[in-house]
Amino acid sequence: MQVHSQSLPQLSPALLAKLSQPKLTPEKIQERLSYIIEKDRVPDDLPRRFLEAFAAVLQHTNYRQVIDNYARIPARCANCSCACQIYQQTHDPKDVPCYRSNLLLEAYRRHFTLRGIVEGHLKGTPYLTDDLILEMAESYYHCTACRRCSLECPLGIDHGLVTHIARYVLSEIGLVPRALVISTREQLEGATHNTSAIPWAAIKDTLEFLEEEIKDDKGIDLTFPVDHEGAEFLFFAPVSDYLMEAETLMGIATVFYAAGDQNRWTISSQFLDGINYGLFYNDWVLEKCLRLEVDQLKRLGAQKILIGECGHASRSAKAFMKTFGGGKKAPPVVNIMEYTWRAWKDGKIRLRPGAIDERVTYHDPCNIARTGWIIEQPRELLRAFCSDFVEMEPHGVWNLCCGGGGGTVSVDEIRPYRTGVTGVKKAEQIRATGAHYVVAPCANCKKQLREVCEDNGLSDVEVVGLHDLIYRALILD
Amino acid sequence: MPKFTQGDVTIDVDEDGFMLEPEQWNEEVAKALATTEGVEDLTEAHWKVVNYLREYYLQFGVAPMIRKLCKETGFKLKEIYDLFPSGPAKGACKVAGLPKPTGCV
Repeated sequence: MQVHSQSLPQLSPALLAKLSQPKLTPEKIQERLSYIIEKDRVPDDLPRRFLEAFAAVLQHTNYRQVIDNYARIPARCANCSCACQIYQQTHDPKDVPCYRSNLLLEAYRRHFTLRGIVEGHLKGTPYLTDDLILEMAESYYHCTACRRCSLECPLGIDHGLVTHIARYVLSEIGLVPRALVISTREQLEGATHNTSAIPWAAIKDTLEFLEEEIKDDKGIDLTFPVDHEGAEFLFFAPVSDYLMEAETLMGIATVFYAAGDQNRWTISSQFLDGINYGLFYNDWVLEKCLRLEVDQLKRLGAQKILIGECGHASRSAKAFMKTFGGGKKAPPVVNIMEYTWRAWKDGKIRLRPGAIDERVTYHDPCNIARTGWIIEQPRELLRAFCSDFVEMEPHGVWNLCCGGGGGTVSVDEIRPYRTGVTGVKKAEQIRATGAHYVVAPCANCKKQLREVCEDNGLSDVEVVGLHDLIYRALILD
Repeated sequence: MPKFTQGDVTIDVDEDGFMLEPEQWNEEVAKALATTEGVEDLTEAHWKVVNYLREYYLQFGVAPMIRKLCKETGFKLKEIYDLFPSGPAKGACKVAGLPKPTGCV
């Protein structure tokens, strides 16, 4: 049958207006995504490059199955909106998780399914425009990837995963927050091999300083074990702890000392950074960081990977080690809270009841609690030595995000957004508990919660790590 | 490349206003950078923090651990925030001519 031009459906004026929009200039792109791209790397020809990168990701990963499955679901019921603390704050329909996910899914439907391609040709609707790609970049970095919405989706869409895939594709064409790329570049290619660019000499100086501090506080001679071959646990802290979180590290070292496990753990001098921003934006980076951890494990003949107080470092290792770190031979991954809880349960360490009098509450890092991985252990520990422990509501699997998840906490440019939009619900939650100490066993959450408290008038709140308080409560004979 | 100019001082800075070539740092530069951090007058207390950061940076190539900074200068963390409103890692380091800290700092 011949198709006459008259019989073709007419384009709506709105769509025509959209199609006749001029391409965005590099300056315009730069303006809209100021924190997302490096100034000298403004990408051009965005739609073509986006589709090429998308096609490559679909072809070379297992994500095609997922995306294809999700794309068959309309995903418009917006049940997820009541779980999203960002939507609850802004009430902007663009912040509904399934609206966000549909940005990528529409691109898939239009360009990678038969129906979409045929319809597109007949109607002459090029779906992807510069504008839409920019909207994706903005939208997917407004999401903190806390995955609370995935608990609500009646059709089982993991919107956090869609955010991850979208950011993966965007990062392949150079759209990724500058702060994350700079840190990752230092970790993978720099001289120091860590995201905070701390040379080994400085780490060594810091460890010696911490040893002196522990001696002053506790009167014990303890050394941080470095490059001990054959230790069971190889320890990876988020490297920022070596600048920011003295007490967390002191607490961890003292727990090992008190448990008599001084020989069971070690730190590698060559690569000691557990931070893995790949989880936030790119699977190549994710894989490279995990392989570096496994390399050190083999070098030192250790058996298990032990991650310090860090949510994303823990989940990236726990969830992806099998995929990227050696398949069935992949080493087990343990979080420091699991180790400490086990040592306490086995009676190897003792905690002084009532050691902390002030009111204490516990913040679940999304990357640790959303899947139900570690929820009760830190609470049991805290109840053992805090006389006034209270819960935030909701908590555990249903916790609210600190507001700086998904790597957004590292982007200083969006602090007003993080503390004024995404973190507001958290601030209200903390205020309602009346707690003095908020225990957040995650470097990301700690930084974000401190800024949230500062910007939301919670000046009496102190944000600490779990081991900061354990350090004070440990009974040393 | 953004430049930062104030009075006689002209230096190359990054997008966040941190020095790109820390070896160009001197007291005049510190005073000029301090104004961008809302510090109009560098008092003796400010200099104590700045000089310690500077010294540590020249020796180790990075800022010291915050607890160490507090201990060596004798200031509590809150007092450092009073001196440099955006804190030790951002404000004080910027005035001392250190590069912007990266990672989860």
